[in-house]
Amino acid sequence: MSKKVIPQEAIPDQGGFTVKIEGKEYLVMNDAMFTFYQRSMGEFSDFFLTLRDERKILGCRCTSCGIVRVPPFALRCPECNFAPTEIMEMADTGTMIATPPITYFANSLFQKQVPFGRGRILLKGADTALSINCYTTRGILVPGLINKGTEMKVIFQDERIGDITDIFCVPAAELTAEQLGKKGLLSSELDWERAVEPQLPDETGENKALFESALGELEALAAELNDCARARQDIADWQRVIQIKATGGSFILQIKGEQLAIKPGVEPHPDFTIVCPDLKVLLDGLGYRGSLTQAIMKRALWISKNSEFTTIFKLERMARSLARSKK
Amino acid sequence: MGKRVGIVGAAVTPFKAKWYEKTYYELSQMATADALADAGMEPDEVDAAFYGIYNDIFQRTCIPEHPLQGIIGLQNKFGLRVSNGGATGAYAMSAAHAYIAAGRFKTALVLGVEKATDCFDFMSMSATPEVIKTIGWSGDSFYEQKLGWTAADSYAEVVLAYMDEHPDDLKPEVTAEISALLSEQARTNEYAQRQFDQVTPEEVLNSRTVVYPFKELEICVYTEGAAALVMAEEETAKEISRRTGQPVAWITGLGEANEHSFAGKNHKIMSRIISHHLAAHRAYEMAGITDPLKAVDVVEVHDAFVHQLEITMAEMGFVPRGQADKLIEEGLILPGGELLLNPCGGLIYSGHAVGASNIMSAWSARNELIKRKLKTGLVHGTGSTVAQYGAVMIMECD
Repeated sequence: MSKKVIPQEAIPDQGGFTVKIEGKEYLVMNDAMFTFYQRSMGEFSDFFLTLRDERKILGCRCTSCGIVRVPPFALRCPECNFAPTEIMEMADTGTMIATPPITYFANSLFQKQVPFGRGRILLKGADTALSINCYTTRGILVPGLINKGTEMKVIFQDERIGDITDIFCVPAAELTAEQLGKKGLLSSELDWERAVEPQLPDETGENKALFESALGELEALAAELNDCARARQDIADWQRVIQIKATGGSFILQIKGEQLAIKPGVEPHPDFTIVCPDLKVLLDGLGYRGSLTQAIMKRALWISKNSEFTTIFKLERMARSLARSKK
Repeated sequence: MGKRVGIVGAAVTPFKAKWYEKTYYELSQMATADALADAGMEPDEVDAAFYGIYNDIFQRTCIPEHPLQGIIGLQNKFGLRVSNGGATGAYAMSAAHAYIAAGRFKTALVLGVEKATDCFDFMSMSATPEVIKTIGWSGDSFYEQKLGWTAADSYAEVVLAYMDEHPDDLKPEVTAEISALLSEQARTNEYAQRQFDQVTPEEVLNSRTVVYPFKELEICVYTEGAAALVMAEEETAKEISRRTGQPVAWITGLGEANEHSFAGKNHKIMSRIISHHLAAHRAYEMAGITDPLKAVDVVEVHDAFVHQLEITMAEMGFVPRGQADKLIEEGLILPGGELLLNPCGGLIYSGHAVGASNIMSAWSARNELIKRKLKTGLVHGTGSTVAQYGAVMIMECD
């Protein structure tokens, strides 16, 4: 079946529920505003068709002042009393005009691609910068990998539909000379580092004792979180089975029915796995003494699916809710 | 310049994470009724309505102001809706001022309202991602929306570009301290969404990164609520002031600027927020202010993000660009400092009911001027991608 413009799982069932506040019931209805389009790309058609069909990026140059705009968002130059511009092919390499932000907490439409950068690349010969997603081929994107002035190469998706998402960029330093020189380089031609689960040290009497101690603290903390109404609300309608692997032992963290449950053992088919060399990192995150997200960014925690940042955020929100409820 | 215009009444509803008990109709009526009561007026004394409503999708209707005209008692009168991103409220106030100054009306109501968190994401089973998605429809629809554009990442672009140029400014411990300070100031704002959510700088530093470089406790929170002001031309304002016993907050300066949305040569300069610089300096010129730090007593700056607050304060001339950390390091905004900054807790702790936010800020600035017997206040609004829009209003009490 072809991909739909709205994911099926994003669409709620018809109906509603009531919320009781100070003894009075208030009605809340599932609802949506939806409009579908057959939207013309108009004067931008050449730009998007050229991306899709020729793996090339177009810009436009003012015939009066010579400024080169990429993308060709104004076909007449407003600086030159609307003088005409001419379309030109651009290089597929350039530099970031500023350090790009990295999104860790995205809305659901982009949840599967976090963490991702979105910055502006100044292609060689251009005067304006193209907004573009930035990735690294070397694992998780963290601050410091791509900065102002970093040389980048534009990469084309293997399956293109004539959309700005047909392209993204990666640091030129991560590519071979051959890849750098190739025009219209495809995503499948890159050497993407695979997510490899980190190896933990062998279990010893000492690290097992530390693990058991931290696990005990974690169980006590989970009980506190489960007793906090605000924290429970943070995991309302959310279910996950998470395999936790730490130095000294493993256990299962289950989210179900607004409760966190810690169970011994190994789950054959968890929703995802968290590897934490030091279980105290997880403990600090859930205890609001640190951030799980920051720990992942610093590689002190590893998660098997980046899309599960959603769950990480829910756990972090629980930690904050508990801290707030204590104030 | 036209007639002199002043603010003679103001009110806000409680700003809440979720108003299950009210729709935006009732929130609008609450704020209007309270603002008119503050001005000692009834609806038939109001000549026109100016609505600040940012987003159709939040209200789930495309002409969200249309049911309000009758509900707020202004049937058959002038009504104009303003929508300018985050700066909606500031632009709505500016529009109302212009019409009154031009002599079209003697009085006007400025009403901002937003029901932001009715949006709900059924994939993550939470509201915030859907609120972010809804605002995400505000990005460039051809070139940016599908890249995951959000308000946060577009402001982060500007902040990071500023940090590229000024790596020693916006230090994490300073942004954390500002957030903690704002949380403390919210304690006295009984309408604030997070009135009793005081945080320490350490908590801010430990809060999760949402969009690098922004941490959760450095970002405004989306809220639901309404805010309303009553403006009047000079003679009417003086008459109302005699009636209520409250001084008029005269609007002595206004300035606005909208930058280019694309970046590069002769376009948006990413490391600057020129819109805020121009808006402020245009307002200063109109008000006859040459040294804002000396002239202004209270600033209500639109703090979408703490880092942006700092850059904005520099762009508006309160500290040098590249040395915005002086706000804290030289004690300018600390208790007893030269400047009262966001006494309401800012949008980070009072809440960001987008179209209502800048109007709430004006309500707060006016309250502080009257309560503390101060002279000059500044209200600022920012909005759109890469902080493209800026609007500043100066108010002065006699």
